[in-house]
Amino acid sequence: MKINLKVNGILEEVEVDASAVLLDVLRDKLHLTGTKEGCREGECGACTVLIDGQPVDSCLYSAAAAANAEIETVEGISANGLSAIQKAMVEEGGIQCGFCTPGIVMTLTALLRQNADPTPQDVAVALNGNICRCTGYSRIVSATLKAAKNAMAQKAGDAHA
Amino acid sequence: MSPTRPLILLPPSGKRQVTVMDFIYAQKLEEALDALRSQAGRAKVLAGGTDLMIQIARGEKQPQALIFIGQLKDDLATISLSQDGYLNIGALVTHRQICADRHIQANYPALATASASVGGWQTQSVGTLAGNICNASPAADTIPPLLVHEAVVTVQSAARGLRDVLLEHFITGRRQIAIENDEMVVGITLAPPPADTADAYLKVGRRKAMEVAIAGLAMRLTMAGPETVGELRVATCATGPVSRRASEVEALFSGQKLTNELVTQGASLLGRMIQPIDDTRASAEYRKLVIPKLFRGAVLECLAKLGIAISGLEKS
Ligand SMILES: Cc1cc2nc3c(=O)[nH]c(=O)nc-3n(C[C@@H](O)[C@@H](O)[C@H](O)COP(=O)(O)OP(=O)(O)OC[C@H]3O[C@@H](n4cnc5c(N)ncnc54)[C@H](O)[C@@H]3O)c2cc1C
Ligand code: FES
Ligand code: FES
Repeated sequence: MKINLKVNGILEEVEVDASAVLLDVLRDKLHLTGTKEGCREGECGACTVLIDGQPVDSCLYSAAAAANAEIETVEGISANGLSAIQKAMVEEGGIQCGFCTPGIVMTLTALLRQNADPTPQDVAVALNGNICRCTGYSRIVSATLKAAKNAMAQKAGDAHA
Repeated sequence: MSPTRPLILLPPSGKRQVTVMDFIYAQKLEEALDALRSQAGRAKVLAGGTDLMIQIARGEKQPQALIFIGQLKDDLATISLSQDGYLNIGALVTHRQICADRHIQANYPALATASASVGGWQTQSVGTLAGNICNASPAADTIPPLLVHEAVVTVQSAARGLRDVLLEHFITGRRQIAIENDEMVVGITLAPPPADTADAYLKVGRRKAMEVAIAGLAMRLTMAGPETVGELRVATCATGPVSRRASEVEALFSGQKLTNELVTQGASLLGRMIQPIDDTRASAEYRKLVIPKLFRGAVLECLAKLGIAISGLEKS
């Protein structure tokens, strides 16, 4: 079947199987390989993308069901250079092997849009569905708080300017 | 096959060849019902897909068509309160919506707790309450809280219209529900809880987050006097093939003075009644040990929520 997927603001027509999952279409058809495949069962979050602003495991989300929705991948949020959370992840050392990073960045992007000033507990709860086997999470949490602080400082600066 | 991988002859491991032929987008509820009728059992309703897509990939379910209801949000993704206090939860309401709903947090906190414990954010953003009960896993977290609130499931078909079923009768076995091929769930209704009532949902998993229950227990406690129980309701999950209320335990409490001895008696009777199995998550023996602890914990949590302190009734 042919479907239209809107990925990072661009409408793409793709031929998919009725049972295809979004992850395979993103990686194999659209060559957006920033989204990673870990467990393929919804456990690890490496495949997280945003659908209408909400984090979703693309490994178990139907590609056909994602037609007509706004899909965002890690490529989209870094189209104009690294985003605030990506920069903070680099600066705080929130990345080791990096396999979990795109998924974590997507979840945290959704969190920071919905909650400009999260507590460490908010970050931990948001990341329940993202597994990182390297970092021990604490630097990821501090990166999130830093990105939030930077964004708030910038907003305050803009308001004064 | 994608242009970048022309040489792969076998599907990569984990990517099974599956043969769902049709994907049907229902734009209106009537279209979903018509499609269900004309597919006559060959189709499956697809909501968030957090159960169904994995089952299809594993080859456990082989529907010929998927009827996608995700575009019926205007009709089915709403939580609404009737004049007389009944709460209707539409079939597309997600776990995330349940956790965030003020009325549910205030009146059915056990349900909010259960939905908040279903997988991670990614699962909760698309996984639905209706999907959780239709999948009817013995470990489904939302079933015990819905059972203690005597939830009613509303089912609809093109041929026969609407029908209400008590959740207790809707779930007939392990992964089995009382629904005809041409029917789908449209909503779940909860009655307003009586005065002096509190509820609780307690769950044990291997890790704190993102873990299917080793055992779960929901309780609803209504007090008739300062120390007298009006009604106690209790239901468990992952403790047998089907989640059920434990009516023998409930009967022990009705109209009785709440004492430490009574709670101990109820807890141990519940532990004896359940018929858990050994599986990859835990042994039956462990489950039999942990359920009485959850029972006592739930009594204490309900009392704390009601602001009642009963001397001699403490954690053991
Ligand atoms: C990583 C992960 C962790 C999880 N952890 C938990 C957990 O801790 N506890 C827990 O209880 N569950 C857990 N689940 C399962 C949970 O996500 C599902 O049970 C979810 O609630 C199902 O909703 P859905 O919309 O995704 O259903 P779908 O997968 O779309 O559908 C599930 C089944 O219900 C049927 N169905 C759906 N809607 C209707 C309807 N309106 N009418 C008739 N039939 C319908 C479908 O045909 C299908 O058979 C987990 C899942 C994943 C992937
Ligand atoms: S690959 Fe999707 S959650 Fe692990
Ligand atoms: S950095 Fe290696 S898994 Fe997270």
